[in-house]
Amino acid sequence: MRPGIRIAIDKIFTVVAGASVVCLCLVLVAVLGPMLWRGGSAVVFKGTVEFRQMQLVLFGRGDEDKIVAESKQAQIARAKIYSTIERFKGGIDSGNLIEKARQIYRQFGNDLRQTNMSAEDVAELRSVTRQIRDRLESAFASSNTAEVNESLAYVLNFKDDPRFKNTSAAGLIGLAEQYSKDIQGINLAERQRYYQEIRQVEDILVELLGPAPGAATPALMMNRFGATRWDLAQKLLGRLLWYEEWIKQGPEQPMIRRLTPRSQRFAGTEIEGLFTYIQQNLPEMLRPRPTFYWQYFIDDSTPGHYFGGVGPEILGTLLLTVLAMLFVVPFGVISAAYLVECASDNFVMRIIRMSINTLAGVPSIIFGLFGLAFFVLFFLPIFGAPSKGCILAASMTLAVLTLPVMIRASEEAIRAVPQTYKEASLALGASRFHTFVKVTLPAALPGILTGVILSLSRVAGETAPVLFTGAVALGPVPKSIFDPTRTLSYGSYDMAVGDKLAAMVPHNQFGMVVTLVLLILCLNTVAIILRSRVFKKLAGH
Amino acid sequence: MKENMRDKTTQNEGTAQCACPIISSNDFSFYYGTTMGVKNITMNINPCSVTAIIGPSGCGKSTFLRSINRMNDLIPGVRAEGKLVVDGQDIYDKRVNLVNLRQQVGMVFQKPNPFPKSIFDNVAYGPRLQGITNRTALDEIIEQSLKASALWEEVKDNLRKSALALSGGQQQRLCIARALATKPRVLLMDEPCSALDPLATGKIEDLISQLKDNYTIVIVTHNMQQAARVSEMTAFFCLGELIEYDVTSKIFENPSNKKTEDYITGRFG
Repeated sequence: MRPGIRIAIDKIFTVVAGASVVCLCLVLVAVLGPMLWRGGSAVVFKGTVEFRQMQLVLFGRGDEDKIVAESKQAQIARAKIYSTIERFKGGIDSGNLIEKARQIYRQFGNDLRQTNMSAEDVAELRSVTRQIRDRLESAFASSNTAEVNESLAYVLNFKDDPRFKNTSAAGLIGLAEQYSKDIQGINLAERQRYYQEIRQVEDILVELLGPAPGAATPALMMNRFGATRWDLAQKLLGRLLWYEEWIKQGPEQPMIRRLTPRSQRFAGTEIEGLFTYIQQNLPEMLRPRPTFYWQYFIDDSTPGHYFGGVGPEILGTLLLTVLAMLFVVPFGVISAAYLVECASDNFVMRIIRMSINTLAGVPSIIFGLFGLAFFVLFFLPIFGAPSKGCILAASMTLAVLTLPVMIRASEEAIRAVPQTYKEASLALGASRFHTFVKVTLPAALPGILTGVILSLSRVAGETAPVLFTGAVALGPVPKSIFDPTRTLSYGSYDMAVGDKLAAMVPHNQFGMVVTLVLLILCLNTVAIILRSRVFKKLAGH
Repeated sequence: MKENMRDKTTQNEGTAQCACPIISSNDFSFYYGTTMGVKNITMNINPCSVTAIIGPSGCGKSTFLRSINRMNDLIPGVRAEGKLVVDGQDIYDKRVNLVNLRQQVGMVFQKPNPFPKSIFDNVAYGPRLQGITNRTALDEIIEQSLKASALWEEVKDNLRKSALALSGGQQQRLCIARALATKPRVLLMDEPCSALDPLATGKIEDLISQLKDNYTIVIVTHNMQQAARVSEMTAFFCLGELIEYDVTSKIFENPSNKKTEDYITGRFG
């Protein structure tokens, strides 16, 4: 081959290799970049006054006086919303009217018991009143004008009934009269719709601004505070300003989504102007401020990860990883030592070697099921521990999962120790065991640590093996290794397949994934530094 | 410790005077499985002497050398026949204590092979195996050994340095010091200079001539000048057999066997 061509081929090779490395890096950046960016928003974001309140209530963090003062300021800006809605609801709330009718009926029943009428009369009166009440309720609930008028007419028939004169039941007829006046010239269907939609608005407002002042504390933690983050608030504002509808096009055809401004839905009412008011004054109501929430990495979270951080997840992942390493490193090194130093090359050993290689390729879910069957259902009860998923079982499953990797790496490392070291040691009168412990093992340590690094990354990130053996999505921080734990990997999985609630806190999903990546990076960095120090020491620099 | 050393010296001198051989091989054969390593070797080696073993590659000189402290046992399927007596003990006897034997018969290998530990730990490896943990005792042994291997002056200030940071010649002298630290009676050297430059080789050779006052040295070498320079007795091996064993000057000046003559004059091998 001519030298020119050879140089050209060399150059092409270099360029192609370099380009592929660059491509890989770009892909990596393209994948990791957005993930890091979105995950970072779990820690650095614009926190609202609700966030500061949540931190105060849940974690006792921050200056109480300042936060209370700030939230008072915010409440002043919010007051208009609540008063407007309250007024509007007073006019359309048929639920309220139904409740009133029922109250009167109950009162009348009590009154009847006091009178000295005959039992037959009482029974008849009762059934008539019940009919009146039922017709009234259907009138209040219905949006069909003809139906309503018919019901109201039925009730008003009893207007001059002497039996009801001067009794509490007259209130029912009063209600009917009032209602028939109220609905003169009004589109009943519209009125029903207002009733439905104002309730939607109220629900969104609870998510956005927290419970209305004076309302009872909600049972669900996530309803106790409004939008803690400005980006979440923006999302909720979108839902507040736009009414979403799914419209059927016809059979076998996909429905289409239609968005209408909510102000248009409430056109002509006093609610119409409210939306512009909220849009303009939202910063005043929520007071967003740049927040660096480093406690994300230590805080516990409320169920569903709606508030708080990933502290228990990090703790659980670390616990599982470290415990698994404690199991796998001695086992792996001893097995590798046996395979290299003691085992002869016979049929049984060949089967064992092949099994180890095969095990390295077994899908991790299989190990998860094995862990469930062996550690959880069989092993733990033997030692009197409760037969449930726990840290111990999960870490042992992870250890089994990564054992082949560890054995292979240690085997290579031990094999790579120069024979001359062993010879020198043996020639000085050392036994084979002494030689292995004092000479071979220290010299193989960097290679063994490489195995540890490989295992570490795998163990920390695995989800399937801990699925059945000790990971939970919710639950308390574990108190012992016989408790299940939350982990970052399982948490990420759970939020990814989770409900709508998880979709409301995407920063948490990404935050968890990024935390996992960072945690593995940290663990690896520590292991790599350790390895390079051992290596330097061995090399004599 | 010093007294101990002196005792050993006088003992060695004593054995030298009585002139009974420290290594005595009688019809010794060694097999790797079915392959023969060495065959029917009969030779006696006197204490406090330097014996060189020369011969073409694959002639079994290393095999014989490594049989003397049973380093060949590491290879699976080996077998020995005949008698090989070291210091009055048949070393292929079943009851022999390998640890004791190897402490009695030290070995220096072809390539310098210090452990990846500090200089101190390298030399202290043997004594520690014998159970010496007392710091002052160890210090003394290490100083003696390093002085005996003419390395003390070069490394005395940084005994904590890794042995791998030393030069090749220094490493080989460290290996000799390490072998000496167990106070052996015999020192086997398997081509100790083949990986070294002439300057380092010269130093090792000087060292060998110093050490022969106290130790019995058996050295395998490819370098015939080296054999002529350092040894008193020379054995010529060929195809697993001992062809000629005599005083060095006689082997090199007036060999009695034709094969020996061919080899040392360079006509063969």
